[in-house]
Amino acid sequence: MSVEVDVDESDLAEMVEQVWESYLDPEGVSPLMQNYDHDQPTEVHSSVSITGAWNGHVVYASSRAAAQRAAAAFLAMEIDEVSEEDISDTLGELANIVGGNVKAMLPPGSQLSLPQVVLAPESTARYPSAERISGIYGTWEGEPVSISMWHASAETKEEGA
Amino acid sequence: MKILIADDSRVMRQIVVRTLRQAGFGDHDLVEAADGQEAFDKATEEHPDLVISDWNMPQMTGIDVLRRLRAAGNKVKFGFVTSECTPEMKSAAEEAGSAFFIVKPFTAERFDEVFAPILG
Repeated sequence: MSVEVDVDESDLAEMVEQVWESYLDPEGVSPLMQNYDHDQPTEVHSSVSITGAWNGHVVYASSRAAAQRAAAAFLAMEIDEVSEEDISDTLGELANIVGGNVKAMLPPGSQLSLPQVVLAPESTARYPSAERISGIYGTWEGEPVSISMWHASAETKEEGA
Repeated sequence: MKILIADDSRVMRQIVVRTLRQAGFGDHDLVEAADGQEAFDKATEEHPDLVISDWNMPQMTGIDVLRRLRAAGNKVKFGFVTSECTPEMKSAAEEAGSAFFIVKPFTAERFDEVFAPILG
């Protein structure tokens, strides 16, 4: 059984804003500018799955340049010093932070998975029987970034969940 | 004081370290663990004064690390820095003996508020 979720785009936007304020744009000079383009191309993505009372995924996707910039901000280093591993770790943590905050707004009885990172466009990912229910889409310093929520029907609940 | 930082995310461990410094606690001896088992082992072997732990980690979750430490008689001051914060998690943490609960994303101000009474 899966319950209706009460996390809307304004909730997601607030979470994203907190991530930017805390880690990606502490000076408040380059926020994520929403463009509402849910089909904008991305080059890398990360996700966490939520299973239990609610089943679905929270996906963070961006261009490679935006991921590199995020890693530099997270690790307080120059953009050209950022390694592939730094990018992966940062993408995983971004999905984890947003996913954890989403989970906190869901009914009790849900589990959050460890993050999964794919250095390939979000368009290569498939979430069987899941549909995108909300998202924040925009650009960060001109580079595409999106955070989306996917709701899976109960039948696709992961084994053992 | 010795502080053990347990998080499976390397970038988050670095952010915790940096935020501790920004909050004025950079002079303490910092030790890191990359999963729950390592956190339990280092909390036992390194005798930290404080453990700052993620909740969702491979090998063993943070709450299981805390419960196992307490079951073994280890009274180290222990708390959570996690992206997840539900009432059930908070009450489970308190029941297990957690001293604090910090939600990601966090700020240096939040670290100061929580750690000033603990670290002085």
